[in-house]
Amino acid sequence: MENEKLVKQLTSHDPVRGAGMTRRNLLKGVGAGALALGASMGLPQMARAERELAMLTWDGYVDPRVLDGFTDQYDTQIKYELHTSDPDSVNKLRAGQTAIWDIINLNNPWAREMMWPENLIVELDRGRFEPYFDKMLPMFKPPYKWAMSLDEQHLLGVCQRVDTFDFVVNTDVISAEMGKDEGWDLFNNPDMKGRYGILAYDNWNIMHMCMQAGIHPFKAKSDDEVAKFEETARNAINGAKMISDDFVAINLALINGEIDMYFGGGTYSISAARLDGLSNLYHVVPKSGPADGKGGINWIELSSVVNNPTLHSKAFDWMEYILQPDTSYHVGTAGGFLLPVGQLADPEVLAKFSKEELDSFQWDEFDYRIEHAVEYDVVPDYNRLYDIYTAALREKS
Amino acid sequence: MTTTSGVSRPPELRQPNVLRHFGQWLRNPGFISASPTLIFFLIGFVGPLIIVLGFSFVPERTFGFHGDWTVENYVHIISESYWISFAWSFGLAAATVVCCLLIAYPVSYGLARIFGRWAAPVMLVLVIPLFVSENVRLFGWYLVLLKGGGILAGSTKFLFGLDTGTLLYSPGTILMGMVYVYLPYTLFPTTLGLSLVPRDQMDAASDLGANRWQIFREVELPIAMPGILIGSLLTFVLAIGAISEAKLLGGANIVVIAHSILHEFTYAQNWPLGSAISMFAIVITGILVILVMRRLDLDRLLGRK
Repeated sequence: MENEKLVKQLTSHDPVRGAGMTRRNLLKGVGAGALALGASMGLPQMARAERELAMLTWDGYVDPRVLDGFTDQYDTQIKYELHTSDPDSVNKLRAGQTAIWDIINLNNPWAREMMWPENLIVELDRGRFEPYFDKMLPMFKPPYKWAMSLDEQHLLGVCQRVDTFDFVVNTDVISAEMGKDEGWDLFNNPDMKGRYGILAYDNWNIMHMCMQAGIHPFKAKSDDEVAKFEETARNAINGAKMISDDFVAINLALINGEIDMYFGGGTYSISAARLDGLSNLYHVVPKSGPADGKGGINWIELSSVVNNPTLHSKAFDWMEYILQPDTSYHVGTAGGFLLPVGQLADPEVLAKFSKEELDSFQWDEFDYRIEHAVEYDVVPDYNRLYDIYTAALREKS
Repeated sequence: MTTTSGVSRPPELRQPNVLRHFGQWLRNPGFISASPTLIFFLIGFVGPLIIVLGFSFVPERTFGFHGDWTVENYVHIISESYWISFAWSFGLAAATVVCCLLIAYPVSYGLARIFGRWAAPVMLVLVIPLFVSENVRLFGWYLVLLKGGGILAGSTKFLFGLDTGTLLYSPGTILMGMVYVYLPYTLFPTTLGLSLVPRDQMDAASDLGANRWQIFREVELPIAMPGILIGSLLTFVLAIGAISEAKLLGGANIVVIAHSILHEFTYAQNWPLGSAISMFAIVITGILVILVMRRLDLDRLLGRK
């Protein structure tokens, strides 16, 4: 018995057997590997003061000048993800990504109508942030509707980039005045078939096709209106020479005479080209339209703080940082998108923009555009209209 | 009495059952060594596919597996006009394979038999474009083919006073873009296949009186066929998922199947329908691949027999 025990001990310490592949060795190896991985990845993170500030955003806030400025000032790194669309990012938060993101920057209706009621964002301190609204363009005077909860009690975000998004013409072919007078009917005109493009920002295309159909995009539609939308959408898609989600490609087509106009478009898509001297690319807001008599659509970007259970300690500092004059200028000229910002009412911010930069986003017409535009909102019946839109795209003839 | 003789039968040997076989297999050192890779493969490759498969059976525009299971997404695909997108994708992919083969075969022949020391530089020229993003290369074609100030239109106007008109936004332009992008995937396996054809066999066929066409049909093509099939298969499968060519060069006048999937996962926020379209495409492509693979002798191609 003793001998048997001794043999077992000897074999269990046999260096040759020990070097072979056994389940125990494998598990030992995996365990050691996991420990090493943890040591190389997890432990230094634990040792760091705090993780990166995480941001779901449109392109205005990812300019290196904006990001680096915050990093320098607050010693905080930023990671970000650009949106595909507003609803896409809202659905990410709904799917549980509130635990990942600290800041979300979306167009106006989502904070007030979706994210706050669904507890996806937190409110801002009105005492700290409302003074910034006083310095913005008059339309943002506090309490500003789109920054407030439906009961007007809670401040949900801060505003910055603002404009309308409608259609663009080449003024060498179609005058700006003609575009404003004819409005969306230009795209219904059979003579224009094959002479226009569509910038495929699909959710905007739905709104613009409503305008072309003479339907208010932000009101519930009757069956007759849906049928009218379908007829208009099919005509608009079948009549388009090209459809592209790349505004550089569509601007090139416009410049080179492939097309004479396109929707949706606006300063967002042409300001960089206009700054390069292509002032014949022109953002048109119709003088009239079916949305309470208006034909333009006004968007306002709102930055909000996500209801993250482990919210970054600098999240609210970021909200204040982006409202500073230098940052406002950098956001307004970020990444080749030159756009008006609410802070342009502040002479210090206005002075930072050159005349060419102001011309690039048709600043002289800004008040006209806002006056003739309805504010962007959630589109009722969107799913139904979108299915019609995609079917029309597939069946394009 | 149940026995006719007084000799008792030996006890029956216990047959290993399936479970025991499986247990032995699990204890196999080869399996144990491969298990980390296998786990990685299951989590990283099979796992997402299972999630996509699961999503294709949940009600439209839901984002989790807590609802009832349904086949309505598949019914929707069949009852709506998605067949157009499938037809375009499969048609363009098939046409791409044919065009790539027509171009690749003579080039491969040259690389395998004629170019000699120039084969390596030629190969390099063909490989270099792969280092550049597909979208960037296609945008280059967009600039070339653009009307007015485009490189081709501008040059012909300047040199010959000719107006080329528009060359973009047609199925032919999409096909050209796809052939341009996917040609290397046909070319290199075809070159490998042709390089496996022994010169001696071709010479022997010639000595025995075969003409060039007979040598091609009876000797060269059968031996090179595995390489040609692999190249065709690779090109076909990649071309099924092509999207940039139709969007950029075709002006989205054609909505290919990948574009339909993109619609559903982005602006429509209809993950279940997007998943169902994906599964549909995977199944159809899988069936076609299996049919081709049955004709393919990988062991022979890899020189194992």
